[in-house]
Amino acid sequence: MVEEENIRVVRCGGSELNFRRAVFSADSKYIFCVSGDFVKVYSTVTEECVHILHGHRNLVTGIQLNPNNHLQLYSCSLDGTIKLWDYIDGILIKTFIVGCKLHALFTLAQAEDSVFVIVNKEKPDIFQLVSVKLPKSSSQEVEAKELSFVLDYINQSPKCIAFGNEGVYVAAVREFYLSVYFFKKKTTSRFTLSSSRNKKHAKNNFTCVACHPTEDCIASGHMDGKIRLWRNFYDDKKYTYTCLHWHHDMVMDLAFSVTGTSLLSGGRESVLVEWRDATEKNKEFLPRLGATIEHISVSPAGDLFCTSHSDNKIIIIHRNLEASAVIQGLVKDRSIFTGLMIDPRTKALVLNGKPGHLQFYSLQSDKQLYNLDIIQQEYINDYGLIQIELTKAAFGCFGNWLATVEQRQEKETELELQMKLWMYNKKTQGFILNTKINMPHEDCITALCFCNAEKSEQPTLVTASKDGYFKVWILTDDSDIYKKAVGWTCDFVGSYHKYQATNCCFSEDGSLLAVSFEEIVTIWDSVTWELKCTFCQRAGKIRHLCFGRLTCSKYLLGATENGILCCWNLLSCALEWNAKLNVRVMEPDPNSENIAAISQSSVGSDLFVFKPSEPRPLYIQKGISREKVQWGVFVPRDVPESFTSEAYQWLNRSQFYFLTKSQSLLTFSTKSPEEKLTPTSKQLLAEESLPTTPFYFILGKHRQQQDEKLNETLENELVQLPLTENIPAISELLHTPAHVLPSAAFLCSMFVNSLLLSKETKSAKEIPEDVDMEEEKESEDSDEENDFTEKVQDTSNTGLGEDIIHQLSKSEEKELRKFRKIDYSWIAAL
Amino acid sequence: MAAGGGGSCDPLAPAGVPCAFSPHSQAYFALASTDGHLRVWETANNRLHQEYVPSAHLSGTCTCLAWAPARLQAKESPQRKKRKSEAVGMSNQTDLLALGTAVGSILLYSTVKGELHSKLISGGHDNRVNCIQWHQDSGCLYSCSDDKHIVEWNVQTCKVKCKWKGDNSSVSSLCISPDGKMLLSAGRTIKLWVLETKEVYRHFTGHATPVSSLMFTTIRPPNESQPFDGITGLYFLSGAVHDRLLNVWQVRSENKEKSAVMSFTVTDEPVYIDLTLSENKEEPVKLAVVCRDGQVHLFEHILNGYCKKPLTSNCTIQIATPGKGKKSTPKPIPILAAGFCSDKMSLLLVYGSWFQPTIERVALNSREPHMCLVRDISNCWAPKVETAITKVRTPVMNSEAKVLVPGIPGHHAAIKPAPPQTEQVESKRKSGGNEVSIEERLGAMDIDTHKKGKEDLQTNSFPVLLTQGLESNDFEMLNKVLQTRNVNLIKKTVLRMPLHTIIPLLQELTKRLQGHPNSAVLMVQWLKCVLTVHASYLSTLPDLVPQLGTLYQLMESRVKTFQKLSHLHGKLILLITQVTASEKTKGATSPGQKAKLVYEEESSEEESDDEIADKDSEDNWDEDEEESESEKDEDVEEEDEDAEGKDEENGEDRDTASEKELNGDSDLDPENESEEE
Repeated sequence: MVEEENIRVVRCGGSELNFRRAVFSADSKYIFCVSGDFVKVYSTVTEECVHILHGHRNLVTGIQLNPNNHLQLYSCSLDGTIKLWDYIDGILIKTFIVGCKLHALFTLAQAEDSVFVIVNKEKPDIFQLVSVKLPKSSSQEVEAKELSFVLDYINQSPKCIAFGNEGVYVAAVREFYLSVYFFKKKTTSRFTLSSSRNKKHAKNNFTCVACHPTEDCIASGHMDGKIRLWRNFYDDKKYTYTCLHWHHDMVMDLAFSVTGTSLLSGGRESVLVEWRDATEKNKEFLPRLGATIEHISVSPAGDLFCTSHSDNKIIIIHRNLEASAVIQGLVKDRSIFTGLMIDPRTKALVLNGKPGHLQFYSLQSDKQLYNLDIIQQEYINDYGLIQIELTKAAFGCFGNWLATVEQRQEKETELELQMKLWMYNKKTQGFILNTKINMPHEDCITALCFCNAEKSEQPTLVTASKDGYFKVWILTDDSDIYKKAVGWTCDFVGSYHKYQATNCCFSEDGSLLAVSFEEIVTIWDSVTWELKCTFCQRAGKIRHLCFGRLTCSKYLLGATENGILCCWNLLSCALEWNAKLNVRVMEPDPNSENIAAISQSSVGSDLFVFKPSEPRPLYIQKGISREKVQWGVFVPRDVPESFTSEAYQWLNRSQFYFLTKSQSLLTFSTKSPEEKLTPTSKQLLAEESLPTTPFYFILGKHRQQQDEKLNETLENELVQLPLTENIPAISELLHTPAHVLPSAAFLCSMFVNSLLLSKETKSAKEIPEDVDMEEEKESEDSDEENDFTEKVQDTSNTGLGEDIIHQLSKSEEKELRKFRKIDYSWIAAL
Repeated sequence: MAAGGGGSCDPLAPAGVPCAFSPHSQAYFALASTDGHLRVWETANNRLHQEYVPSAHLSGTCTCLAWAPARLQAKESPQRKKRKSEAVGMSNQTDLLALGTAVGSILLYSTVKGELHSKLISGGHDNRVNCIQWHQDSGCLYSCSDDKHIVEWNVQTCKVKCKWKGDNSSVSSLCISPDGKMLLSAGRTIKLWVLETKEVYRHFTGHATPVSSLMFTTIRPPNESQPFDGITGLYFLSGAVHDRLLNVWQVRSENKEKSAVMSFTVTDEPVYIDLTLSENKEEPVKLAVVCRDGQVHLFEHILNGYCKKPLTSNCTIQIATPGKGKKSTPKPIPILAAGFCSDKMSLLLVYGSWFQPTIERVALNSREPHMCLVRDISNCWAPKVETAITKVRTPVMNSEAKVLVPGIPGHHAAIKPAPPQTEQVESKRKSGGNEVSIEERLGAMDIDTHKKGKEDLQTNSFPVLLTQGLESNDFEMLNKVLQTRNVNLIKKTVLRMPLHTIIPLLQELTKRLQGHPNSAVLMVQWLKCVLTVHASYLSTLPDLVPQLGTLYQLMESRVKTFQKLSHLHGKLILLITQVTASEKTKGATSPGQKAKLVYEEESSEEESDDEIADKDSEDNWDEDEEESESEKDEDVEEEDEDAEGKDEENGEDRDTASEKELNGDSDLDPENESEEE
């Protein structure tokens, strides 16, 4: 038990989805995307994650369908392996060990037993395209060391490589040139766009390349937004290209449709452009996709497109350019200013989302619930624009109030600041703007906090600002003769010697307000707004401030920038203890006295959980993350856990989540890895059995009748042919997926053996009697009170003959096999 | 009985549409509507997750549905690599949904893939399926039908495992015991079957109409003295069609008592029942019953033996529309289903129409016996296709929201009188002031009528009009006076104002200053006059600070950008002068320059006089105020004069004074000048 309760750091959601192009399955039912060390399989219809393929030990860098078996998927990873998966069941079939870091993967239907990968061998930034021969072997792990070099000095990104015209050539772009390698001739042609010739527009670097599926045509995207279509590139001299220009900024990705009739392109404008017939006139748009298009892919069936966006989402788009589904991870386009919050109403995690939005993310279902549009201004997606940022947000009064702060600062002195207070309207189940405050402070707001005491009669909000003031806002009655209304007004403005106010925090009962002014902590009475006392440790600026809770409510904790954690006793107004700890994140647990602090060192981040009353930590976990931890939050559990071990008791009532600098959301889990993994790797036990069409009924009945007839005739002739369903060898052969079967040669003898039949068919006669016996037993078994039970055997609907065969017991089968072994003579007779 | 499509024609069919919350955290709500569509909603954000139309939805509508337990998973996962590093932690995924149809087939629908997974037909029912239950552990499915049979399905092979006759009439409901070894079925009577042998273990009788719902309410017997065999001592609950009583039964070993132990009364036929299982003796069972009339009744009861009287609900929840205006009365909104959240302290309510239900999480407050929630669902009918894909919600921003900008009261804390003693004085003064004002008003009215008889608006009628306007708060009268632009007239009027009207006048001016900038331009003139003329009086007031606090804050906020403005102003002047100098001769430019500088001067000239007078008496802030105010005047006047020309009266003195001011003002940007030159 204790062994099982080993706290581990687990990634808990919102992983990156937009690292590489997503890949469609052949029937467009599934879409695959790489996500960290995993490959995720999503349903294109329901946006749900069907499987997570885990097995790689490092970042997965490329995925492709197996061109020879469209139910299999290849993936390559930085751990130097190529893995082959059965994605329907989520099973790893094979692992090919290549050995060096693999940066991208390509497959070709023409190159049957080899795949192409990008590797870097000698120098760190020189990449090569090589083809890897995948040896045929039945073992699970195979070494694939047979590399043959194709192209050198290429770009690392898989967007810069494309195979064209059924694998006749491969095109690669880098900086100002396009190189085309012809497999048959084994020659490389190189076409250069001279950057020197047109120095004014020297931004014509290549960014991506795509090849027409059937014609000899290469499309390349450029930094300046142009798309060039290259033709006739077999000849180094006579090659031509035409230009398509719509994008005003870099072309991020290009894709040809399956038939090659249209070309798709996208970029920072967040508009998917479809160029029909590769002409400039004929183009269609799908605008307002929300964020920069990073990748475009096309389903092999041709009915769907998908675009991967920089805000960690995949949009699935119909052929007629209509978005049909969005697979959205945790939005991670930009930096998180608001920190992590929990919406008391929906229990969702709330943080910065799309530009100008707050995202509500359900931790239970690992899904984005919705984005709340706070700024409500059209977002102009262009490089270098200074946007309005949503910098602070806070929930108050059990989710009835939401305060948001937005700011835009173009220059040091030109600050635009706005605070909005939203009221939750129960009638319409949504937020309504109640008060909008322009320039609530002269300078940036550093902290925002509601008084969340249960007995507080009027909602109170405190804002602290760099301008040296903190303001107390209260909700007052604004009713007049026309309407009843409430609105927020400023109640008190406090300052302390013109120092910048850096943090503010209410005590649990709401009676005290602590505001830190740089190095000094001031305590204010929340009724009269009198300054009660000040604490000053001269240990650097206060970075975090929080009151103890429950039994520890007499303590106030402050973490300073100089790496000292102080605990003051509010009753004695003295320092209780201090510790040297470079605290990055400090969060109190709303359900207990515990406080979690994450400290940052050069090696990594460490977690300390402690009670303010005693300086000895309850729990320490070293090295929770290599990166800097930016934010953390305690999430109350719906159902409390019951860990008995003292070290884990802090996890009983709340769960701790934290967000690292690369914006991966992590948490602590005590469950053993297996337990945690099973739900994802679970397989549906139920077999798919679908009478898909009405024809089935007709055909099915017909077949049944046939079967019955057959059986009748068989009985008449007293010749017993074993039906295929009955023999284990055959059923094994037919029901095992083809890709896990041993070689045909190995199976052949077994299979033939199983088909052989003894001439004696005595056993067949015994069987019916046996069945009768059983049925009699059953009727005896039927219970009192006349409720007769009829047991129906698995295959009661099929004919009698089949029933009989089903009753072959194991001993009888053994007998049969013995006979078979003996009786080979008749083969010779044939 | 004919296999009719839909049970609505059958009088003994249970009311309500088949619907269910997904197990574990209730992330989804599945609802099979009468038009044959299956819709799955996300409970957390009230979004339509998917919609599925079975191919035979018209002939065989869905009659019941059940979510598969989330634990349905492979016995051995293919790889179990002990990876110490991070693993993706997905919550329990719920997937399969079993649908029973009116023609007897059972469909298994995969909500993850959004497609039909399999169809259980062969050897099953040949009439309407009434209830489906999944076995918790074994992956079996139990179904009962109008064809009197109960069928045990093997879901792995999609084949019938066992089929037996459950009753002499149609079997309407099923329930599996907490330990998974017993099965309750209900037709005419309630029977408890042993699953292994398919034998009847107990009989319970009591309902007159077909039982529509069955549910175990405890998982352990309340008295733990005797050893627990998995079933004895457990309580279960049953509801029937057209029956306003929910019966509770106890499985007992010794006496074969067949009647109900106790009952709960509700207002109408129960449509949807959810409960929290009690795990120990002390914990009460919480029961939420949705009735056909759209109400939810909540019961909280510790089950311990026989209870004669039917229990009434602890709390009733109703939902109604907000009756807009006086005419329309609030209409009730039917609740379709209610489910307890995993914390047992809140309830998920599904209400509205089945076409577009609203799902809301309501915190339970057991103290109130009746909860009526007012909800506006009219906007829910709007098509939400766009939001369904982008998942963006736009909170309402309407004109009713209060807007605070710097200078408006409420943006900054009101300046309050510090000592309480002065407050008393203030109140006395106020009362005295009021008395006087009544007398004054009478007098003023006399004068006013007298003046009005003459019907000519002379300068000396202005103070009277203003006083009267201030006291009666007559907007038009005030407008008439305050919208004058004649500086002399303003001065004279202010001089003649009675002292007690000064503070109301200032407050009126403050209010108008907060308004449109154009009107503020005029008010500034007035304000300036009042402050200069009555400075001595104002300084004697003890409560001046709180009285004029808003005015002060307003000014402070308005002049905040003054420095930048004057910078800009200075630079522009430099530019203009240089441009004009380059174009014309020097002689021609200089008068223009002078004219520009004149504007700045005008106010400061007056101010300088006043300042000297006031400096001793006024507080610090008052000085600031005046300065700033006068500075503001400069700007304002610039506009003024650009628009309407020049005041003839003061024109002469300005030029002389302007020289002084020029020196003072140009200090602001000496660097600029040097740069330019």
